[in-house]
Amino acid sequence: MAEEIRAEMVANVWKVVAREGDSVTDGSEIVILESMKMEIPVVSEDGGVITKLVVNEGDVVQEGDLIAVVE
Amino acid sequence: MTVLAGQPEVTGELDPRDPLARLGQLLDVGSIEDLKPRDSSTIHVVRGRIDGSPVIAYCSDATRVGGALGWGDAMHIVDAINRAVHDRVPVIGVWHSGGAKLTEGVLSMDGVGQMFAAMTRASGKVPQISVVLGPAAGAAAYGPALTDLVIMSETGRMFVTGPDVVRTVTGEEIDMPGLGGVEAHGKRSGVVHVTTATEQEAFTRTRRIVGMFARPGVFDLKDAADTGTDLSALLPDNPRRAYDVRVLLRELLDTDINGVVFEELQAKWAANVVIGLGRLAGRTVGVIANNPMRKGGCLDSLSAEKAARFVRLCDSFGIPLAVVVDVPGYLPGVGQEWGGVIRRGAKLLYAFAEAVVPRVTLVTRKSYGGAYIAMNSRSLGATTVLAWPAAEVAVMGAEAAVGILHRKKLAAVPESEREALRAELIAEHTRIAGGVERGMEIGVIDEVIEPAQTRHRLAEALATAPAGRGHHGNIPL
Repeated sequence: MAEEIRAEMVANVWKVVAREGDSVTDGSEIVILESMKMEIPVVSEDGGVITKLVVNEGDVVQEGDLIAVVE
Repeated sequence: MTVLAGQPEVTGELDPRDPLARLGQLLDVGSIEDLKPRDSSTIHVVRGRIDGSPVIAYCSDATRVGGALGWGDAMHIVDAINRAVHDRVPVIGVWHSGGAKLTEGVLSMDGVGQMFAAMTRASGKVPQISVVLGPAAGAAAYGPALTDLVIMSETGRMFVTGPDVVRTVTGEEIDMPGLGGVEAHGKRSGVVHVTTATEQEAFTRTRRIVGMFARPGVFDLKDAADTGTDLSALLPDNPRRAYDVRVLLRELLDTDINGVVFEELQAKWAANVVIGLGRLAGRTVGVIANNPMRKGGCLDSLSAEKAARFVRLCDSFGIPLAVVVDVPGYLPGVGQEWGGVIRRGAKLLYAFAEAVVPRVTLVTRKSYGGAYIAMNSRSLGATTVLAWPAAEVAVMGAEAAVGILHRKKLAAVPESEREALRAELIAEHTRIAGGVERGMEIGVIDEVIEPAQTRHRLAEALATAPAGRGHHGNIPL
């Protein structure tokens, strides 16, 4: 089943760590957000292959925005 | 299947939905005694033991009219709860019921209403735990919701109105698991505290959780002799970097043959705060910790409500609290403000300020602003506030504070000198406003401890405080 990874809060995309097509395990970092003066890694919970990665470094994401899809 | 010593025997011949089959898995082998003779009721009530501790249990009989509750069935539950209060033992409800019996009409609703009233009267007096193994609709959903903790297996479904009514009224197409299964209530609604893959696992987890209440143990400080492990080494080197606080909790709490003794509750809902029952130096404690990995560890409406209800649960049963703080503040945003973060965040202030159990706070990295106060600060009556040496306690981070307080001063200097001035102002601000030294000066931090001594110092602070138990119920906040 596809896992949709969404932003939990308003944040800047500080670093994009993974790329589309990468295999990730549960707990793997996909991007690192910056918010509240914190660097917050966004991880996959289920693991799989990243089929979509829709953010770039410097983007601003709102709560609920799609970051990536892992299948 | 193999039956482990001390584990309940699984009865093979019965319908697996028969109350005796289910209670047989929940309670110790040979401990079950009918509290009432088995009749045609859809509720069966027994007395039994869990790892030797006496409990009362009631269970839906899903083999009869889908376990629907009539007036008489609801009265069986009322009797079970009253008996548990009288005997001062935990009461466990095993649910598989379509709700109130339609054939009885208003009579069944009166019975169910009396059941809700009995649950509310017993709240805070004895632990009430619900195990949902099948559909629990309408009345059967609100029953568990009024109890302290809800454990749901993959086969459980809770909803007020089922998919058919939802479709008719709103046009939304959804099946029963989607509407009220483990994903819905474990992650989205927060109704369920523990989700499990199987019925058997639901019983195992229930037995462990009941043990936390029924056999709280005593602090044995020899048990908390520190291993000398520097717990701060578990945190990232970069103080701005988020991490999963559960890694730290695993080192802080006791371990047994099953690993770390920690029953995390509502793990996937409002995950920016972690709550759960664990053991520290042999004693059951309630753990509340900000989790920087989620929403940076900010408090918000949901996490404040989650933590507040847990504080009140622990307080009502005399379970000491260990509060692990690393919080950048309350989550800003229109959504939060309009969603009532003031009203809902106030619940956490109220819960801590009201609590009389020993409650010790440990600030690991930072504690800022309103969230600093809310996370069991000295001002709310914390028993003891400990901090690691590098911890920062302030209204906001020094960098942000300087940006506001000295905006004009910074703007007035040439750009080439600005960063040097900023650094100087930050150092000055930290000296007068934040940092652990200032916190100790004014008495909001009691002691700075070495991270390697954390287990021992936390246990000691909780063990030496006078025991207390709040006199209040545990309203589903």
